[in-house]
Amino acid sequence: MLKRLMTALKGTQKQPLQDWQAMFAKWAKEAPEGPLKRYYEAGTIALDSPLKDTPLLALDLETTGLDPLKDEIISLGCVPMDHRIIRCNGAGYWMAKPERTLNAESVTIHEITHTELAEAPPLHRILNEILSVLSGKVVVVHCVSIEREFLREAALNVYGFPLYFPVLDTMHIEHLAQDKTPWWKRIIARKPSLRLDACRQRYHLPRYKAHHALTDALSSAELLQAQISYHLDPNAPISNYWL
Amino acid sequence: MDVELTEIVEALCQHAPFSELIDDPQLNDMVKEVEVQYLRAGEWAIQPGVLNHTLFFIRSGAVEALGKEQKLIRRMNEGELFGYASLLRGGKSSQSMRVIEDSLLYRIPARWFLKLYEENDSFSDFFELDQEVRLKVAMESQNSGLSLMTCPIVSLLRRNPITIAIDGNIRLAAKMMADNKVSSLLIMENDALVGILTDRDLRNRVVAAGLDYDTPVGKVMTVDPVTMDSGDYAAEAVLKMMEKNIHHIPILKGNKPIGVVSTGDIIQAESHGSIYLISDIYKQTSIEGLQAISHKMTHTFTQLVLADANTQMIGNAMSHIGTAFVKRLLQLGEEKFGKPPVPYCFVALGSQAREEQTIKTDQDNALILSNQYDPQIHGEYFRSLSDWVCKNLDMCGYPLCTGDVMASNTMWRQPLQQWKKYFSEWIKEPKAEALLRLSIFFDLKGVHGDKYLAKDLNRHIRKEAKANPGFLTFMARNANQRKPPLGFFRQFVLDGEGKQSRTFNLKERGIAPIIDIVRVHALACGSDKLNTLERLEDIDNAGLLPDGRAKDLALALEMIGMVRIRSQKDQIEKEEAPTNHVNPAHLSSFEKRHLRDAFHIVERQQEFIKFRYAGKRN
Repeated sequence: MLKRLMTALKGTQKQPLQDWQAMFAKWAKEAPEGPLKRYYEAGTIALDSPLKDTPLLALDLETTGLDPLKDEIISLGCVPMDHRIIRCNGAGYWMAKPERTLNAESVTIHEITHTELAEAPPLHRILNEILSVLSGKVVVVHCVSIEREFLREAALNVYGFPLYFPVLDTMHIEHLAQDKTPWWKRIIARKPSLRLDACRQRYHLPRYKAHHALTDALSSAELLQAQISYHLDPNAPISNYWL
Repeated sequence: MDVELTEIVEALCQHAPFSELIDDPQLNDMVKEVEVQYLRAGEWAIQPGVLNHTLFFIRSGAVEALGKEQKLIRRMNEGELFGYASLLRGGKSSQSMRVIEDSLLYRIPARWFLKLYEENDSFSDFFELDQEVRLKVAMESQNSGLSLMTCPIVSLLRRNPITIAIDGNIRLAAKMMADNKVSSLLIMENDALVGILTDRDLRNRVVAAGLDYDTPVGKVMTVDPVTMDSGDYAAEAVLKMMEKNIHHIPILKGNKPIGVVSTGDIIQAESHGSIYLISDIYKQTSIEGLQAISHKMTHTFTQLVLADANTQMIGNAMSHIGTAFVKRLLQLGEEKFGKPPVPYCFVALGSQAREEQTIKTDQDNALILSNQYDPQIHGEYFRSLSDWVCKNLDMCGYPLCTGDVMASNTMWRQPLQQWKKYFSEWIKEPKAEALLRLSIFFDLKGVHGDKYLAKDLNRHIRKEAKANPGFLTFMARNANQRKPPLGFFRQFVLDGEGKQSRTFNLKERGIAPIIDIVRVHALACGSDKLNTLERLEDIDNAGLLPDGRAKDLALALEMIGMVRIRSQKDQIEKEEAPTNHVNPAHLSSFEKRHLRDAFHIVERQQEFIKFRYAGKRN
């Protein structure tokens, strides 16, 4: 957890205006022919586009562990949205059979059984489809490092080139929002929890059963809407917020 | 790709009408087109004057519906739907919807709503345009069983009435009864009912008296018999028969007799505990005997509930039983202490007077003495009698009133002129706090003695109340003191204490507010009725309420009363003391939904009287 948090905070410091559009153009040239090249060629939104015009996709991964080099993605869920509306029409959910065996511990967390996974296709067979869903979207996640690192590794394995995407991180946003509380309050109060469920409760969002990729994606989508209505300016450029 | 949004499906299926669709494969297809939206308190879900194409489901939070000029119509909470009325009208909405607590809303496209509404009966039933209709349908479906308590008296009529003109002779009358195999004849004069002649009358008044058979029936009939209206309940006939010791009651529709109900008809239809209980009460000659009967009361009560009696019937039966205890005790008291030295009237107050008593109610009573009363001479007699009656009522299961509103309290044992002075003071110079305590005095009914005293006082009250609109303002304000248990944030606001902390009080927060509201209107229109439903009829006829509102209140009272009675029955069966508290967790979703509808009606009607009797602010 602490490691997750540290990575998230590191993200906040190297937050100079990121021109994802320019970077996508550069990677489009560098990437080998194939789906990943087409993904970069499709590009992404300009850094001065307002938040309210940004096509978003809430995404969540479930993995066999926390180490992107050793562990693997076993399921993905995503829901398209914008700053006001989440559209279930377009929601996606995939399971992926890991190359290595699944350890018993992560099975209990995800409630995905060995049988279910044994019948699922391996990740490299579904990554093309996932790329087409990600195309043109700013990705909404809770804690950027997991999704970003695991998908980068997955793309490296499959295409020999990393996958990157611009991100709105609800954990990061929450961290900044909590930072706005006066210093004296921060001293007295316990450090606010940045867990997804704790963040949601701050906005009176209902409690969900965690650790299903699609539910968690929906969960962070709703959290982002709440955060936007409380803390963000829909007319501000997306570059103010993306990572 | 098999995408299943379990979180959304499950949330929807926890609530009607989607709970009905739980096995319908269409539901999953519908959910795929749901949109989710987070709105902060103060934001609009449906803006005034904007077309709506969405059915909204409140996943969490609360929303209020506003009518013209932003007048609050109702509040909705988690699990409730809104927007459907406009979808049925092609998108035009008469109400706007504003979020009052940060809310997560599921937006269901109009197309899906209309499709399900067309195809699925239980789904469309749910959306019967307003909740009053929903409540009514629910009540009717509950009252389907035809028992004596719930069936209208007309259902007991077997044939047209057999009638004879007033100048017909006894011989002809007896022959007609024999030919038609009936035990009574109705006596008519110019198409109007003027009397009744029964088997018993022929025996006692004709044969035993040795009368000539050519005597006209007019000479031996019972003049102006007790009659009932075709709309009355069968059980009321039973109570009337017991009370007046009669065996036949002509039933009128308008002024025309349409039949006769006899004890035989009733016994044939069904026999009921409460009737025997009342006749038993009058047979007792000792306190011990009365006490023994009082233990059977809970049994009678549960029997009535099991027989599907509605609250009106149960209230009626329980009040008649209560009245029988009072009357019998006073009869025994007069034997013990001697004949009263001056006329008096023992009056029932509150629920007993309104005939809305339930199981286990405190006694609320008072004594009106004739103006000839002289405390020096007569004081001792009435003090002893009152003390004795109140004490023994307590022994018979009617606990002493905690507020000391009893005939045993000198203050409430006064001559008529003093009573009139009391009321004139209360009405002309109302004090809010005092009135709150005194409201039960405005439901006052003579049960024993010279009932003219009670009538006279009631007339005085009505006259004074009507002449002092300022008083109605106070009463209206009082009627707004107790609010229905609907919170902004939760579905039901719990108010119990200790062991009952998960409960709320149905009487305090539902039944009493309705009774209070109705009392204000009743005083405003000078109604001489006491029963809440009868008062509502007068109020409706006087045009004090917009069309249909009187009926809404009656339905709300019945719904809340029903939940209370059933919960009390359950408590009795578990050998607990019956209370007015109910734990919402123990209610069915049916009861919860309709209870909430009923409370909405109460809230709205409280708002209404606030401005209807606004008066001048001081």
